[in-house]
Amino acid sequence: MTGERVLVDCDDVGRVYGSGSTTVVAVSGVSCQVLAGDRIAVVGRSGSGKSTLVHLMGGLETPSAGRVSWPALRMRRGRPDDVGVVFQGLSLLPALDVTENVALPLVLSGVSQEEATERAMVALAAVRLTAQARAVPEELSGGQSQRAAIARVLAAAPALVLADEPTGQLDHETARTVLDALLQTVDRIGAALVVSTHDPMIAERLQVQWEMRDGQLRAPAQTGAAGGRQ
Amino acid sequence: MIGQWLAGLVRRRSGRLVAAAVGALVAVALLASIGSFLGASRATMTQRAIARVAVDWQVQVSPGTAPGAVAAAIAARPGSGAIVPVAFAKLPALTATTPTADGGSTVQTTGSAQVLGLPEDYRATFPGQLRTLAGADGGVLVAQQTAANLHISVGDTVTLAMPGRPGVPLRVDGVVELPQADTLFQTVGAPAGAQPTAPPDNVVLLPAAVWHETFDPLAADRGDLLSTQLHVDRTATYPADPAAAYAAESGAARNTEAQLAGGGMVGDNLAATLDAAREDALYAQVLFLFLGLPGSVLAGLLTAAVAAAGAERRAREQALLRTRGATHRQALALAVGEALVVGIAGSAAGVGVAALLGRLLFGSAAFGATPTTAVLWGVLAAILGLGVAMATVVVPAERAWRAGRVVAAGALLPSARRPMWVRWGLDLVALVIAATIVWTTSRVGYALVLAPEGVATISVDYWAFLGPALLWIGGGLLAWRLTDLLLRRGRRLLTTGLRPLAGPLAPTVAAGLTRSRRLVTRGAVVLALSVAFAVSTGIFHATYSQQALVDARLTNGADVTVTEPPGAGVTADAAERLAGVPGVRHVEPIQHRFAYVGTDLQDLYGVRPGTVTAGAALQDSWFTGGSAQQLMDTLAHTADGVLVSAETVTDYQLHVGDPLVLRVRSSSQGTPATATFHFVGVVNEFPTAPRDSFLVANADYVASVTRDASVGYFLVDTGGHDADAVAERLAPVAGADATVTPLSTAVATIGSSLTAVDLSGLTVLELGFSVVLGAAAGGLVLVLGMTERRRTFAVVRALGATRRQMAAFVVGESVLVTVVGLVFGAVLGGVLARVLISVLTGVFDPPPSGVAVPWSFLLWLAVAIVASAGIGSALVLARAMTAPVATLREG
Repeated sequence: MTGERVLVDCDDVGRVYGSGSTTVVAVSGVSCQVLAGDRIAVVGRSGSGKSTLVHLMGGLETPSAGRVSWPALRMRRGRPDDVGVVFQGLSLLPALDVTENVALPLVLSGVSQEEATERAMVALAAVRLTAQARAVPEELSGGQSQRAAIARVLAAAPALVLADEPTGQLDHETARTVLDALLQTVDRIGAALVVSTHDPMIAERLQVQWEMRDGQLRAPAQTGAAGGRQ
Repeated sequence: MIGQWLAGLVRRRSGRLVAAAVGALVAVALLASIGSFLGASRATMTQRAIARVAVDWQVQVSPGTAPGAVAAAIAARPGSGAIVPVAFAKLPALTATTPTADGGSTVQTTGSAQVLGLPEDYRATFPGQLRTLAGADGGVLVAQQTAANLHISVGDTVTLAMPGRPGVPLRVDGVVELPQADTLFQTVGAPAGAQPTAPPDNVVLLPAAVWHETFDPLAADRGDLLSTQLHVDRTATYPADPAAAYAAESGAARNTEAQLAGGGMVGDNLAATLDAAREDALYAQVLFLFLGLPGSVLAGLLTAAVAAAGAERRAREQALLRTRGATHRQALALAVGEALVVGIAGSAAGVGVAALLGRLLFGSAAFGATPTTAVLWGVLAAILGLGVAMATVVVPAERAWRAGRVVAAGALLPSARRPMWVRWGLDLVALVIAATIVWTTSRVGYALVLAPEGVATISVDYWAFLGPALLWIGGGLLAWRLTDLLLRRGRRLLTTGLRPLAGPLAPTVAAGLTRSRRLVTRGAVVLALSVAFAVSTGIFHATYSQQALVDARLTNGADVTVTEPPGAGVTADAAERLAGVPGVRHVEPIQHRFAYVGTDLQDLYGVRPGTVTAGAALQDSWFTGGSAQQLMDTLAHTADGVLVSAETVTDYQLHVGDPLVLRVRSSSQGTPATATFHFVGVVNEFPTAPRDSFLVANADYVASVTRDASVGYFLVDTGGHDADAVAERLAPVAGADATVTPLSTAVATIGSSLTAVDLSGLTVLELGFSVVLGAAAGGLVLVLGMTERRRTFAVVRALGATRRQMAAFVVGESVLVTVVGLVFGAVLGGVLARVLISVLTGVFDPPPSGVAVPWSFLLWLAVAIVASAGIGSALVLARAMTAPVATLREG
């Protein structure tokens, strides 16, 4: 395993919210690594800390204890620049159309507007949303919105895709379609995937399941080939 | 349940509650402050009016009635103070003999004269009736114009021409001015139109004993020439409101007349002055409606905008309540509870702030108004605060409930269909109607406030309010339409404009602004209205102050005026001596003569046309048919030219170029010199000139006609600085006989119009509130509008945006809202100011030549708004940079 690329390395990481009597320990003493090509589902009950762990892996939150590092990823201003995130719920900017939403991370990373738009159109075609390219998020269904969010990840082609409950607000059939799109996307760009979910159907389709319980990471329930390590 | 809900709101949504309460606070504080100030102003007007009157009542004793009996009857009436008898005698003429330079003498004879007999205590009882110009305060006194007519001064002899008897020579002890001669010589009981057009030219005042010694012998055969008045000092307490005081006072006078049963008629000078004051009070009320009300409405709009910024969260809360089984009634009760919290907190704080402002600015929490008035306005303002809270909290909550669904962020996007008012062009319709009304109501001769003299009822033409009101509405809607148009159609322009700020992100930021145009437009329009309020208020008050100063200058003549006594013979050369006094910038000599136009005696001013325009700060609005400079140029080119008043032009059917034969009096000629002048233009106002009729001509021509180059007074320009100190330094240089009056004397004494009322307090209040409103609109509405899209900013940040890139989104919107708000607000405010000045012309005395723009205030306003928007943007940016995930988790 020593020759594998380590994308995320969590070392005894903890995250605490609030203070005094209102202190909430979301994540405590988690050590794990995400390797290139991993397909990991982080499962657990609501409030178990799985979303927080995903956010810590993406550099969206700062750990209260321990250390998170991204040995094999490009860094930009202290944050990993090679990570795509699919958020829970509505994450498209309502004031931008679908193409502009998908192109936004590229523009933010310095890609020209024209190139970003071209890559966005390709990504939208991949998730079968070309017809909605000029629609605004308000005009999309829940499934279409999440597929657009996945296209946003695809367009940027990151090395690591983090998805926080990507199907949490979708019906079963739509959730399946979105997951298909997500898996096809990471396959297409060769990225590692970490999905937090409480949906067993989602978890079963990934190779490794990490269970979060009361903020701590329990033994993985491996379902397929290799997938991360604790 | 309501308690729990409110406790939760206070804990979790304190920002929303505080912001809405602050909006209500501003509305309440503004209304309470201005309302209390208005109440205090009305009371001040009443007090000033009462203080201005030299003699409250002049009771004409009917022939055959004993004055003592009438005095006793008046003394028995409530509110009667000192009662002093004044004897009047009409004589056919006065004469005086004065020596000439060649050792001879000339005899001057006047027309009919009035001789008054005053008891010893008269001056002490009615100090405003006489002002000593030269000589003693008591003894035989002659009026200033009489002294000029007879060429006499203190120590000379005036002879009373007694009908059928030898003349009575009397040594003159003093020369006096009769400031209220019009009322002193009124025909008591005659209607306004039947009063003498001018007071008598020739007046002698004698001690009562001398008068009786002189005239009692006439009583038997020429009693028709003699009469008695009782001058009464009123001590009654009057209501604070001028209209109520007028009603009380005129009622008391009529009642007394009835009690006298024909024994006397009351000349009610006090009621006449209060009559004018109630018109001023009505103008003050109009000012409040024009200037104060828009501010309160604007504060309400601001509160609504603040509340609207929380619409998304409120809708989510409503949806949650519905899913938890809350009934409509319960949801409504919760909204009412929230509105009460906002309204009560905002109103209490608003009344407190108003009281604090009153104490700081006026030394009284009640702004100088009576406690009843202040409490009344406080209650009214608090009710408004509660109303604003109800309208801005309950109505949106009810709407959200009826919508029955969670309003997604996208619902804040503009709908494809334009609002009905845009399609129907209601903004343009409102502006056209406003322009029509303003044109109609501001035509020459239009009276906004109608207060017929002597008539109990007064009225305001409220139709005139419709013009500015529609201008506000139409202007606001037009600003909305244009901002919306800019955002909808001007994406390329926006992108270009944003590129220096946003760089490669400019197209994305522009796209976001275009689709968020409902929020952006709302912020920009609220800011534009706030700026318009501040600009219009600022310009109005600056123009008002400018005209108040002009009014004072008209009365006094200049920063300092040196008036020479009649017959002093001081020539224009003395100007150089006065100009040498430190602080003096320029001295303009003005000749003062009297000239007969037909039988009408008018003041004649001899001026130096080359220097008088700048030297006397002549205003263009004082002349008709050209600017001040143009008419003075005309005068300079026409040696015998003369400017006359419009009234004289009408009376004598004059046309430019017509010859005008005048008989001009001077101090060195016994009889008036007849000379031909040529009419070259119309003058309406001139420093120190009376308001009715007067003449202005070349000083050289007047001097050659009268062979007298003596100056009546010198107008001293100090550049507006240290007039009092300069006046003190001028006094010894001008000599003991000259009277030196600084501008402050005139400011303190003029009181015939609203400009005399010190509205600096109102100015401070309104300008202060306008800046607060502008800053609140620039910062609060912007911040809350952006807070509404906190999830958007959180997503952008989570997608990897750097601080600079985040700033492009936040500052881009802030700059757009601020620039659009300032530009539209400045234009609308400028137009509103012009309309207000046009509609409220009656407030200004004299009418302004142009508007005064308070540049420093406007600069500070812009700085406050930009700073507020900058601080707001920095706060939004800081929040977006630090907690994107927490925001995303809020759902």
